[in-house]
Amino acid sequence: MKKIKKILCLFIVFFMFITVSNASVQTFDRQELENYGVNKKWNINSSNLSNVLNTYKVNASEKIYDYSDILTDEEEKEIYKEIDEFIKKTNIDMVFVSVDLPYQSDKTNEDFAADFYDYNDFGIDFKNYSGILLLRNTYEEDPYFNIYTFGDAQLYFSFNRLENTLDSIYDDFHSGRYYDGIDIFIKKMTSYYNSGIANEMKEYEVNEDGYLYKAYRIPYIPVILISGALTFIVMFILVKKNKMVSTATKATEYLDKSSINYTNKQDNFITSHTSSYVMSSSSGGGGGGGSFHSSGGSSGGGHSSGGGRHG
Amino acid sequence: MGVNEAVLDNKCPNCGAVLKFNPQLGKWSCDYCDSVFTLEELQKHNNASSVKNNIKENTEEVDISKNSYHCNNCGAEIIADEQTAATFCVYCGNTAILKSKLSYQFAPSRIIPFKTEKKQAVEAFKKLSKGKPLVPRDFVSEKNIEKIRGIYIPFWLYDVKVEGSLDCDAQKVDSWTVGDTHYTKTSTYKLYRTGSMEFYGVPVDGSTRFANDIMNTLEPFKYEDLTEYNHAYLSGFYAEKYDVDSDTAFEDAKKRSLESAKETMMNDSIGYTSKVITQNTLAPSIIKKEYILLPVWMVNIKYKNEMYLFAMNGQTGEFIGNIPLDKTKAVVYGVIIFVVSALICVLVSYVMFMYGVI
Repeated sequence: MKKIKKILCLFIVFFMFITVSNASVQTFDRQELENYGVNKKWNINSSNLSNVLNTYKVNASEKIYDYSDILTDEEEKEIYKEIDEFIKKTNIDMVFVSVDLPYQSDKTNEDFAADFYDYNDFGIDFKNYSGILLLRNTYEEDPYFNIYTFGDAQLYFSFNRLENTLDSIYDDFHSGRYYDGIDIFIKKMTSYYNSGIANEMKEYEVNEDGYLYKAYRIPYIPVILISGALTFIVMFILVKKNKMVSTATKATEYLDKSSINYTNKQDNFITSHTSSYVMSSSSGGGGGGGSFHSSGGSSGGGHSSGGGRHG
Repeated sequence: MGVNEAVLDNKCPNCGAVLKFNPQLGKWSCDYCDSVFTLEELQKHNNASSVKNNIKENTEEVDISKNSYHCNNCGAEIIADEQTAATFCVYCGNTAILKSKLSYQFAPSRIIPFKTEKKQAVEAFKKLSKGKPLVPRDFVSEKNIEKIRGIYIPFWLYDVKVEGSLDCDAQKVDSWTVGDTHYTKTSTYKLYRTGSMEFYGVPVDGSTRFANDIMNTLEPFKYEDLTEYNHAYLSGFYAEKYDVDSDTAFEDAKKRSLESAKETMMNDSIGYTSKVITQNTLAPSIIKKEYILLPVWMVNIKYKNEMYLFAMNGQTGEFIGNIPLDKTKAVVYGVIIFVVSALICVLVSYVMFMYGVI
């Protein structure tokens, strides 16, 4: 009996260990009748059904999905508070995911992050499903982390800002100080949000599918300058029409041209000089940029990301 | 205050009514009996047109200080200031040509008779606001139009000869490119011009009562219509005598002639990029001067306590004057033009954006 009790206790301890190690990650089944648990507008069809079914269905309110168990409960609670504060302030969702996912290319990480965000209810209450997802892939052969942005978050957190953030948290993530790294990440995101839409993104907007597009902006200064100049010219002409009187300073119309008589008419050359300069040839060279990574996931929704870091 | 009896009028030889010069016919017509007379026919009778009344070499002492006259028709007193040479009797409407203001040194040698009638002047004045959106509402009103009157304005006419030298420093700049090198060649020249030219019929307003700029703007008059002066041409119109003497008036003709002579000589050397006058000895001299009367329709309009003078060339029919601005209209137009041009700019920029130009 004692032996049975001992085995039972060991089983309970083992079960508890298992439960505790993934205490914050609850996953749910995807049911066909409930559109496979996808509450967003994406069409689920044969081309993306397998992606949907392979994506964890989670409670979107938890925000921290530590599949690799790299954070303690205390750390998760602290981070949750910060994330909650960020979401309430910005109306941009924020998600942290750690996972041990074997991969050959960075695209695998991106697809995982995009599907995880798109096929769960992240950002569902916000404009264009706006949100940020910080992914840590703890795959032992090549650990990787990156930030993915969705909806209007793409405007606030530009490629440069994401790169800067990834650099800031690299040392902590590389050294396994995840709590510190995530804390910096949230603070940087908050700071960038407070700075407003990134300068390089000001001419962009996000469509309802989450894709960035260059938007038309009224060029106010040129419009005001050109309209002002046109108004001045037209008003000048209109005012001038009312002023018909002018003083005559010449008598050319009374000149008898046949009376013009020159007794001396000379054009004498005095000197000349020639100057020269070499024209600078303009070297070509296209503008930079274009490093902003924006793409679509299997859901059909768009998203952007930083360059990602291995380590 | 003395009374000068030398007041001429022009009566119809047939019915005795007032006989006025008809610009349309170029003759004198009677509104009552419809008689029409040429100058030659009129001169057979004793009136303003008669040879006796138009003798140029009048040696009598001319006294222009009188300002009170008697109407030949009704005997009423006619008050006229020193400059007025022809007016009307306010009681009977009879023409009153004040002979003393048009004799001896004040005798015009020639005149361009009116070629346009009052109704043409009225029509021209009405059209003045056409195409001018900033004219105040009711500015061209019937009340104002009625005030239009025909006046013969005294003018000095000068034939001027300008002669002398004009020297200039001039530059020619040529530029060309060979390969990556851009060359600029600057050549300096000395230009010498000596010679003369003549200006015929430079007009100068002989009355201080009319602004020179208004009279300048009425130019040019077509001198081919100049005809020998006769008092009869004044019947039906007002007339002024000059109060700017010939020497003073010549200053104006001199300036204009010199400026034109300088410009003509400067422009006579083409192909230069710049010219700077280094010596100018051009000087004008009078070849001939003449005192004439030119026809002008005039109206003075009061707007917001300021007087605005409008005038029409009585020969060519050109109406001129500075029209006051309706400030409210100007603001409204300014705003509308700005908004419309801004909308067009936005539209253009949007089309350029759509075609990827910006």
